[in-house]
Amino acid sequence: MHGWRGRILDVDLSSGTFSTRKPDERWCRAFLGGRGLGVRMLASEVPAGLDPLDPAMPLFFLTGPLTGTTFPTAGRFVVVSRSPLTGTVFDAHSGGSFGAALAAAGWDGIRVTGRGGGPCYLFAEDGRAELRDASHLAGLETHKTRDRILEETPRGTRVASIGPAGEKKVLLAAIMNDRDRAAGRGGLGAVMGAKNLKAIAVRGTGKPSPADPARLDAVRKRATKVVKKNPVTGTALPTLGTAVLVDIINQHGMFPTENFRGGVFDDAEGISGVKMAERIVVDKSACYACPIACGRRTRTSEEEGEGPEYETVWAFGAQCGVNDLEAVAHANYRCNRLGLDTISVGSTIGCAMELAEEGLLQDGPRFGDARAVVDLVEKIGRREGLGEALGVGSRRLAESRGKAEAAMHVKGLEIPAYDPRGAQGQALAYATSNRGGCHLRAYMISTEILGQPCPMDRFRTAGKAEVCAFFQHLSAVVDSLILCRFTQFALPVDVYAEAFSAATGVDVSAEEILEAGERIWNLERLFNLREGFGRRDDTLPPRLLEEPLDRGPSRGRCPELAGMLETYYRLRGWDEDGVPTAETRARLGLERLGS
Amino acid sequence: MPQDDASAPSRRRRRPLSDVESLSPETLAALIDHTNLKAFSTPEKIRQICEEALAYGFATVCVNPVHVEAAARVLEGSAVGTCTVVGFPLGASRSEVKAFETDRAVKDGAGEIDMVINVGGVRAGEEDAVLRDIRGVVEASGDRLVKVILETCYLTDEQIVQACRLSREAGADYVKTSTGFGAFGAFERHVRLMRETVGPDMGVKASGGVSDFREALRMLRAGASRLGVSASIPIVEGFRALRYTAGWLAEEVPCRLCPSRAADISKLPKELFLYYKAACLDCPHREHNRFYD
Repeated sequence: MHGWRGRILDVDLSSGTFSTRKPDERWCRAFLGGRGLGVRMLASEVPAGLDPLDPAMPLFFLTGPLTGTTFPTAGRFVVVSRSPLTGTVFDAHSGGSFGAALAAAGWDGIRVTGRGGGPCYLFAEDGRAELRDASHLAGLETHKTRDRILEETPRGTRVASIGPAGEKKVLLAAIMNDRDRAAGRGGLGAVMGAKNLKAIAVRGTGKPSPADPARLDAVRKRATKVVKKNPVTGTALPTLGTAVLVDIINQHGMFPTENFRGGVFDDAEGISGVKMAERIVVDKSACYACPIACGRRTRTSEEEGEGPEYETVWAFGAQCGVNDLEAVAHANYRCNRLGLDTISVGSTIGCAMELAEEGLLQDGPRFGDARAVVDLVEKIGRREGLGEALGVGSRRLAESRGKAEAAMHVKGLEIPAYDPRGAQGQALAYATSNRGGCHLRAYMISTEILGQPCPMDRFRTAGKAEVCAFFQHLSAVVDSLILCRFTQFALPVDVYAEAFSAATGVDVSAEEILEAGERIWNLERLFNLREGFGRRDDTLPPRLLEEPLDRGPSRGRCPELAGMLETYYRLRGWDEDGVPTAETRARLGLERLGS
Repeated sequence: MPQDDASAPSRRRRRPLSDVESLSPETLAALIDHTNLKAFSTPEKIRQICEEALAYGFATVCVNPVHVEAAARVLEGSAVGTCTVVGFPLGASRSEVKAFETDRAVKDGAGEIDMVINVGGVRAGEEDAVLRDIRGVVEASGDRLVKVILETCYLTDEQIVQACRLSREAGADYVKTSTGFGAFGAFERHVRLMRETVGPDMGVKASGGVSDFREALRMLRAGASRLGVSASIPIVEGFRALRYTAGWLAEEVPCRLCPSRAADISKLPKELFLYYKAACLDCPHREHNRFYD
């Protein structure tokens, strides 16, 4: 095999045994790698209804056929399992260099099942692996975990670990790698914690072996040039990082404020990308092989770290009514070290603030209280005090307090930093996302706000179902190769097809690779249907469907979801309940799960 | 006069495309003047855009006069032409100066000259002066291609028609919408008007604010035979997305495509601002004109 390494490491933590197997080559071709391959393996192994925190639930760490090459952004990896927060199939991605190290160590991925007798960590190097006792790491924050492991492992080792949040199985727990990179969403850190697996450390000396190195190099050069010429990836992101979006989204009146009760944050300037550059940014940072360099090293009066990114600025800023940039940065640093998803944590705190305001959460935080935000991050990470109640996420919190409609989620995953009342296509994208409230499954903001590859009127519904489905397929491709979502601002589909073909020797056209994306999407849909999800879950919170914003450029409108959904199901070849028809499944080569 | 047939170099093509739907990324690229007219562009930047033009097969690179010699050197022997600007961006230089600029640009290697019309002269009805101004550049250009930038944002429809007629009478090869430095850039309504006025045998170039492939296609459908853009690569690469879904081409709210909406009182003479806004009152699409942003 070229591109793929042809080896999956199977680790059973209960018995402490290892085995190696070759991934099904048909699956590699049909599902590409990364997210697609992970979902395929998960779907074939997991019986319906298996609890995500059950020892039998597989937890995959996967690379893709481009990982470790010098193709732009090819250092990423994906974690695949079933989310304890949402119950859906889930893939969480992360940048940095861990993915490249895993590929260099000779693995397409690591599959972990079972549960360790005590805290343990896995060390995998150049085709061999061992389980090590991690008692001395128990309770440590992620930075300290990494530092300790690096003292015990050879130079060049990369670490992915959980912090106290994952160990305590907080449903908002993330898996952190390379200090401050996060496979953040969906609580997969809790799945790792439920297995008593504290960390995975990898080191490798292998080199990628693409099928046609010259062909891959040619497309790499083209991709790099195109990425650098794009106004988003070549100018906006490198100049100000992702926080460049604060002003843009706020000026469109869709910067969710105080738990989506508003779309304009009056103090947005104080937490903007420009303000970050003026006050706390000390350096740029880039992931492995990345020409965009959207990362930011920052320093506050108290400490330093990476970020905050746009979503985090929103989550601890406007979502909570906080305009204190240092507090936002500090909350971000603490999430990274405790191992928490900043989006879900911030959104849940905002939900808690609304509940407290209405007398439904005693001693709850108040909007605008920066200190309370920082304090609650700590408590959530350690399941202490009010953190115990918040650590289950906004849906469970709001339901427990008798106001389910206060939770801004889709399928249990908190909606991020774009109010869908300001962009019809993004509304559809949230509602139909296979992993819940996610902006990245189909980043319709790209076309509706940023005009890439061309602008579409954000208030109109025409064409949105078609473009949403296209983005969902392309995102599934990019997540399977595995590359960064940001490359999609710039690169046309044929570049991904060419890169895949050059790396693997399996020639695919742009249409064929998009069809693979469609296949992955439909498989995820079938998995979720089997777990009880359906049309009723392809929706948005009542506030966003029924209550227009009352001020700002997005005021007076609500998503016209019903019409878009009908079009979306139809063009997907799904029935009116959102179930892929037999004809669609046959076209994509999918069988019913379990049959 | 250069022939305009299928075998002519694409740079010489002036007729509108008969079949925009059959465009490919390559044929789209061949209609683009890959433009960098920024004051702060360095020689290294100019070299970079020349190399991009060679890689993508753009029609020309369009650069400020100071960069012509270097650009022509990089592009020598290739199918990519060197285009420059004269009397730019205001059009308010003396005619002798524009002619001198043209002569110098030709000597430096420019094959195409984009001159800015005497905008104030057009607005004041000084037809003779405007005609002389353009003729001076046409004569100084020899057999090089001359495009006349009308700066449509500062003109009424009647003035655009008149400027087109004067340009044709003076022997120019193209009329062009905008410098990109004015109050606003190209709108398809103006491109359509220009094409209807000059007929099929004169070139029409759309420039200013064309930043994505959908906008580019609009201009071509309206009758443009050349595009002046700086976002050439995102446009050509973004155009490839059209292959996978036509959802991108969903109908736009008419107001967003209309110069009346772009008219800004801080950037236009007041009578022109009112001219544009008055058009909204009787517009058949006025029910759409209720934006918040």
